[in-house]
Amino acid sequence: MPYKIFSMFFTVIVIFLFLQGCASNRNYAWGKYDSTLYSHYKNPQDKGKNLEKLKEITENAEKEDRVPPGLYAEYGYALYESGNTSEAIINFEKEKAKWPESNIFMEKMIRNVKRQEENLKKSSAVSTSGSEEVGK
Amino acid sequence: MKKMTLLLLMLQLIIMFTIGCATTQKKNDYSAFKAADPHSILVLPVVNRSVDVDAPDYFLSTLTIPLAERGYYVFPVDMVKHLLEDDGMSDADLVHNADTMKLCSLFGSDSNLYVSIERWDAKYMFLSTQVTVDFDYKLKDCKTGDLIWSARKGMVYSPQQQNRSGNPLADLVVMALSAAITKASPNYMPLAHQVNGTVFAYPQGQGLPAGPYLKEYRKDYEK
Repeated sequence: MPYKIFSMFFTVIVIFLFLQGCASNRNYAWGKYDSTLYSHYKNPQDKGKNLEKLKEITENAEKEDRVPPGLYAEYGYALYESGNTSEAIINFEKEKAKWPESNIFMEKMIRNVKRQEENLKKSSAVSTSGSEEVGK
Repeated sequence: MKKMTLLLLMLQLIIMFTIGCATTQKKNDYSAFKAADPHSILVLPVVNRSVDVDAPDYFLSTLTIPLAERGYYVFPVDMVKHLLEDDGMSDADLVHNADTMKLCSLFGSDSNLYVSIERWDAKYMFLSTQVTVDFDYKLKDCKTGDLIWSARKGMVYSPQQQNRSGNPLADLVVMALSAAITKASPNYMPLAHQVNGTVFAYPQGQGLPAGPYLKEYRKDYEK
């Protein structure tokens, strides 16, 4: 007897689910994007791990050809923070190419990072710059 | 007996999903939204009106996915937050009070999303924990600076209240759910995800209309 009630309840809920269209078929390959961001805010000092995770998510999304909006930029920014400016620019370019909405923002970022690269070159010719230690 | 537990487990899972789908019925006016026709959304740092200092950052991490899945280009939230901080705008209140159009021009966005946490707390009671979240969402157009969409949604997770449902089956499920959610320190994230899921969905003329990357774009107004 309880079995009948169970299966009835179950069917009703399944039908309800379909009608509501709540089934979570995602358009993009997010991977663990939200939990990565969450743990980044929980342990902000662990930047290396955050960069690693973003790299993994980006590579997987590229493989599936379902890269979500903002991901290249987010990964690019983590690269920039780690001192890897050339890779950062590559990812900003990718974001710009994939998402025309990001055009103005990415152009600005690329310009700023390039300017910083040049300034760094100039100053490192005179003295050793402090930003070297964050690189690889 | 084993089958029973398996069935129960499935039931529990399904109920968890459906909770996020329940909505109140109220028709919104979408004329301003239609005119603005935003393609991209800049999610600004979250304003906190709760006592939990970590809440805004945690909540920020839940917004991108449901918005992008709704068909919009969503600006990288963490990058935006850091850049604003570098510009001396580390205080979310300051950002929310800043000129909308100026923020838009900084990033080239079509619309800006202003979210504030009204409640994010847990009350401890004798046998259970009552967890409450409550969020306020406002979307502003970048061409005019006007409000084009807004929502306010809270959710309370209170096992004791729900225990009085009179349905022993439902009670059992609720008790299991309760154990899962309040097992560790109160976990707000499932509630936050559920609220976002409800707010950004578009059931029966409320919620956020589909963006340009979805098939339903410009069609779901008619429903």
